[in-house]
Amino acid sequence: MNKHHQQATTPLLEVHELSLSYPHQENAIDRVSFKLEAGKTLGLVGASGAGKSSVARAILHLLKPDAGAVLFDGQNIFNMDHDTLRDARRRIQIVFQEPSSSLSPRRTVKQTLLEPLRHFAIGDNDYRQSKIRQTLQTVGLDEEVLSRYPHQFSTGQQQRIAIARALITNPDLLIADEAVSALDVSIQAQILQLIQALQQEHGIAFLFISHDLAVIRQIADDVAVMYRGQLLEHSPAGTFFSQPAHPYSKALLSFASFNAPAQLKALQATVEQLPACIYADRCTEKMPVCERLEPGIHNIRHKNGLHCVKCHLYDEKNTNDS
Amino acid sequence: MSAAALNVKDLSVWIETESGRRRIVDNISFSIKSGEALGLVGESGCGKTMTAFAILGTLPATGATIECAAIEINGRDISRLSSSQRRSVLGRDIAMIFQQPGTALDPVFNIGQQITAVHRRHVGGGKDKTRQAMLDSLSQVGFNQPGKIAAAYPHELSGGMRQLAMIAMATVCNPAVLIADEPSTALDSASRALVLQQIKRLQEDHGTAILMVSHDLSVIRQSCQNVMVMYCGRLLEKTDCESLFSHARHPYSAGLISCIPQIDAAKQPRIKAIPGQVPIPSELPSGCHFAPRCGHAIVQCEQSVPGFATDSSHSVACFRPL
Repeated sequence: MNKHHQQATTPLLEVHELSLSYPHQENAIDRVSFKLEAGKTLGLVGASGAGKSSVARAILHLLKPDAGAVLFDGQNIFNMDHDTLRDARRRIQIVFQEPSSSLSPRRTVKQTLLEPLRHFAIGDNDYRQSKIRQTLQTVGLDEEVLSRYPHQFSTGQQQRIAIARALITNPDLLIADEAVSALDVSIQAQILQLIQALQQEHGIAFLFISHDLAVIRQIADDVAVMYRGQLLEHSPAGTFFSQPAHPYSKALLSFASFNAPAQLKALQATVEQLPACIYADRCTEKMPVCERLEPGIHNIRHKNGLHCVKCHLYDEKNTNDS
Repeated sequence: MSAAALNVKDLSVWIETESGRRRIVDNISFSIKSGEALGLVGESGCGKTMTAFAILGTLPATGATIECAAIEINGRDISRLSSSQRRSVLGRDIAMIFQQPGTALDPVFNIGQQITAVHRRHVGGGKDKTRQAMLDSLSQVGFNQPGKIAAAYPHELSGGMRQLAMIAMATVCNPAVLIADEPSTALDSASRALVLQQIKRLQEDHGTAILMVSHDLSVIRQSCQNVMVMYCGRLLEKTDCESLFSHARHPYSAGLISCIPQIDAAKQPRIKAIPGQVPIPSELPSGCHFAPRCGHAIVQCEQSVPGFATDSSHSVACFRPL
């Protein structure tokens, strides 16, 4: 509906050199940059604790980063005035992993869905009523659920309600933070189909966070891989799944397809001192330089788009290209 | 049949609800040989975990009653033991690992104390022997510094490491049967690969009989030779994994397979969800429970219950198998 106020050249979302430390954890996000075009899906993958959810929270301005910017429609959300930020928040919505804890147990479905409309002062009463009915229909629920409470639904239905709550403000960007991870495979399939349909019909962009590469494969246009707060690889999904460049991405893919024996080393997260390349201590293709020097971000050009990888293995190729 | 490590005959579980007694596990029989891994798959609420707890005789729900002809471990019936007799069986002859190692482990004891408690209870033989057994079981699941893990408290370990510690605890007395209830569901892909690999090793090296409970057929396929598909308390199909994936005969099994997102989407069609949802126990349809969601159902399916032969190599409870 109100999507025409962005220029073709400005991506809907641009995260630029975002860094964030927690009191107990330095560099929870470490200079992360990526772009997301309107109507596209970016799959953000990585193991637990890689910083995926921190990025999501920073984009929503729920966390304030130490450095860097989040540009939404070309404007930095951390410098926005009050009214612009409010509008941006209406246009960026999130769906969390556990619907049972993200829905208020004391609110009926109707109250839950009315809340965002009231908060953003959208429409009059008639509009709100019809919008609620229409949104319920979009997520595949009947009108009769309106007076029920979250505990009266199955997890899959609860997640549909959480999606309806996010959709009701007509967002341009929906962040799904492990939104299908807590669901049964069968329910997960239903929700993934719903998300695909939403994208086709409403042109919503998705930042889809998941540790499950098979799920990412189903719905992402681009894939970004995070590890210990850094972005190690960013590429079109087709390229990523056929020719992953970073050794960590290759390892993730082999775990996901059960091809490689896993090593316990991969689980032991605590190291005293992070090496220059943060993956060096576990990397199977480690070179002496990896301990010494932080790798730069190399761009490999493919016919279907730019493939960025932060790894010394591509040092040489990079110099040859340029 | 004498070779079976676990033999379950005609097991039913009843629970009391406000609207009367409901049978939530409906007359199921199966057996697992030493060194065999059998998968039990189905959606949430279909009775998988109730089956597991019924076998152990530790049903958490009050008012649940178990009916069975026998539950035998290596030929010995454990279904009619007193609670003190049962305590000497649980942990020694049959052990279980749970979905959430974080809640299954006791937060106020370190890992070593929790494992030695099991060994002391069932085997004994003095402090040194017990400590050695504990360290051995930890190194068997792949920890190369078992002493360090033994001194750690559960909150100091990652989810994957906790699950491995729980496997060590479950296997410190080398049980004949291990029940694994969604052991990898809460883990990311690297941890999942590692946990499944350790369970497989137990089965191959120690001849442990494994009952693997999961909603995810891809996990079952990775770790089991044979599989049973359960729906609303009934077994619908039982065969070896390869036959199920190459030629599922029950429409529900085929539906579950088509829900699995494939990494290699170039070759596979996109996921297809099963329409509808699992009925609640008080609203079970008569006849085949799956009939209302089934694309192949005929009138007969709604009227009578299809039989299920337990002796053939590929059993299916369906009037119109695929």
